[in-house]
Amino acid sequence: MATLVSVYELVSDTSNVVRSLKARGFDDLTTYSPAPFPELEEAEDPTPSKVRVLTLIGGLVGVVTGFGIQIWMSMDWPIKIAGKNFAAIPPMWIIGFELTILFGGILTVIGLIAFGGLYPRKLDEHYSPRFSGDEFGVVVNCSDRDVAEVEALMRGNNAKEVKLHG
Amino acid sequence: MAPPPASAVPDAMNSPVSRPRDSQTNIDIMAVTKGFHWPWLIALLIAVSGVIAAASVLAWQTYEGLGVAGYQAPVFWGVYIITFVFWIGIGHAGTLISAILYLFRAKWRNAINRGAEAMTVFAVLTAALFPLIHIGRLWKFYFLLPYPNQRYLWVNFKSPLLWDVFAVNTYLTISVLFFLVGLVPDIAVARDRAVGWKKAVYTILALGWQGTGKQWKAHNRTVLHLSGIATPLVLSVHSIVSWDFAMSIVPGWHATIFAPYFVAGAIFGGFAMVIVVMIPVRRIFRLEKYITDYHFENMSRFILFTSLICGYAYGAEYFIAWYSGVEFEQTSFWLRAFGPYWFSTWCMIVFNVFMPQLLWIKSLRTNLPFLFVLCFFINLGMWFERYVIIITSLSREYIPAAWGLYIPSAVELTVLTGSFCWFSMFFLLFLKMFPIIAISEVKELEIHAKEAH
Repeated sequence: MATLVSVYELVSDTSNVVRSLKARGFDDLTTYSPAPFPELEEAEDPTPSKVRVLTLIGGLVGVVTGFGIQIWMSMDWPIKIAGKNFAAIPPMWIIGFELTILFGGILTVIGLIAFGGLYPRKLDEHYSPRFSGDEFGVVVNCSDRDVAEVEALMRGNNAKEVKLHG
Repeated sequence: MAPPPASAVPDAMNSPVSRPRDSQTNIDIMAVTKGFHWPWLIALLIAVSGVIAAASVLAWQTYEGLGVAGYQAPVFWGVYIITFVFWIGIGHAGTLISAILYLFRAKWRNAINRGAEAMTVFAVLTAALFPLIHIGRLWKFYFLLPYPNQRYLWVNFKSPLLWDVFAVNTYLTISVLFFLVGLVPDIAVARDRAVGWKKAVYTILALGWQGTGKQWKAHNRTVLHLSGIATPLVLSVHSIVSWDFAMSIVPGWHATIFAPYFVAGAIFGGFAMVIVVMIPVRRIFRLEKYITDYHFENMSRFILFTSLICGYAYGAEYFIAWYSGVEFEQTSFWLRAFGPYWFSTWCMIVFNVFMPQLLWIKSLRTNLPFLFVLCFFINLGMWFERYVIIITSLSREYIPAAWGLYIPSAVELTVLTGSFCWFSMFFLLFLKMFPIIAISEVKELEIHAKEAH
C-alpha cells in the first residue's frame, strides 16, 4: 500500500484531480483546504451532510420540550393568571420557539463535533501547515501498482508537488 | 525542467510535504496577536481600572442593598435596565452580519464578521449581568429558572420577564456557539504557526482541525444551519425584550410597534458600535488592506436605513398617542418632549434621526473620522432612547400624586461606566489572543480572485 501526497495552488485543479481520481476508482482519498469551497466539497462527496438530521432532531426535541414543560408545570400547580386558561397556549409559543432554536443549535454543533471529528487529537501524518496557508492537499492511498497512474493524474492536474510515502 | 516522478525518487519516500511558506493573509492578520502595541495596553489598563471600580461599587451595593443605587418610588427600573436593553441591542449587529448576511451571500461581511461576532458575545455577556445587578439580591437569580423546589412552585410562563430569561440565554448560547464554530479553522491557523505554550493551548482549542473535506462539509452545514436558526432568533430577542415593556399598561409602553421598533434600533446601535470599535482596530493594527472603506460604506448604509426606521417609529409613537385620544398617552408623550426629561428626548432625536441623515452624502460614508464621531453619538443617542422609554414613562404614570423625578445616582453611573470597561476588557484580550478577522473566509475570497485571474 502506498500513499501519495500532492499539493495544489488552485481550487479548480484540486476539484478536478479529486473528480479524476474518483472516476478511476481511487476513493480512499483525503483533501485539505485552507478555506471552504463548495466545488471541492461537491467533487469529494456530493451527499448531504448528516448534520442536518441532528438540527432537525434538536429542533423537534426543543419544541416538544418547550411546550411540554410549560403545559406540565402550569397544570402541576394551577393558578389562574389574568383570566387565562391554566395551560394557555398563545404565550407558550415564545418559550417553545426559543427552546426549538436552543436545542436545534446545540445539536447542530454536536453534529459538527461528531461528523467532523472535532476533538483534541494528533494530526494526520500527511497534514502540513501549508494547508492552513493558501495551498490545497490531496492524499491518496493506493496499491503499489497504481502509484504511477495516480501520480500521472495528479501531475496532469497541475500538482505543484507530489510525494510518495509507504 | 519537469520534476522527477515521485515513484522514481527514493529520497522522497519519507519526506513530509512541508515548506516554510505562508500566505500573506495569515501573516497580516496573525500580526495583530503578536508584538506590543502601546494603545492596546493603555486601553486595557483603563478598562481593567473601570471594571475594578464598578466591582467595588457593586460589592458595596450588594452588602447595603439597592437603596445606595438611589432606587425610590415611582422609578424602580433605572440605569441598570436601561443599560441591559442597550447592551442587548449592541449584541444584534454581530449575528445580523454573521447569519443574515451569510444567508444573503453578502461576501463583504467576511472581513468584519469576526469582530462583530466577538462584540456580540461580549455585549450579551455584559447585558446578562444587569438583570442580576438590578435584582439586588444576586444570590436569588435562580428563582427565574423553572427548577423543582420544595414548595412545588413553578415560574410564571405568562410573564414577559420569564420570556426574556429564555430569550437572552438562548441568544447568548447560540451567539457563543456561532462564534466558536467560526473560530475553530482560524485557531488551527494560529496553532500551525505558534510555538511553545501558545501552540499547546491552540492545539487544544483547534479541536484537531485540519481542513479536511469531511470537516469542511460538516462545518459549512453547521454554519448554514446556525445562520438559519439565528436569523429568526436575532429578530425575536429584541422583540421579546420590547415586550417587557409593551405587555404592560404603562403609558408610552403599551404599543404594538415596539417589537420592530426595538429590532431596528438594535441593528442601528449595533452597527454604530461595530464602526466605533473597528475604526481604531483597523488603524492601530494596520488592517486597511482587509477592512476597507467599502465595508464602512456598506455599514453606513445599514445605519442610514435603520435610522429612518427609528425616525418613523418615533413619529408613529407620537402620532398614535395623539390619534388614540387617550389623555394619559398624550400627556406621557408631551412630557417626553417638553417635561423634565426633554434633554434626553432631544438627544435621542438629534443623534438617532437627524445626524445620520448626513450619510446620504457619499463622501461622508467613507470619511472615517466623521463616521467615528457620528457613531459615537448614535450610541449615546441609543442609550438615551432607552432612558426616554423607561424613565419618562415610569416617572409619570397615571396619578399625578404618584409622579416622581428620577436622577441617576453615582453608583449607577459607575456601574454603567464599568459595563463599557468590562466589554472593552474582553474585546481587547480577544484581540491579542485570536484572529480578529475570519482568515479562512477572507482566503476563500482571495483564492477565488486568484482563480479568476
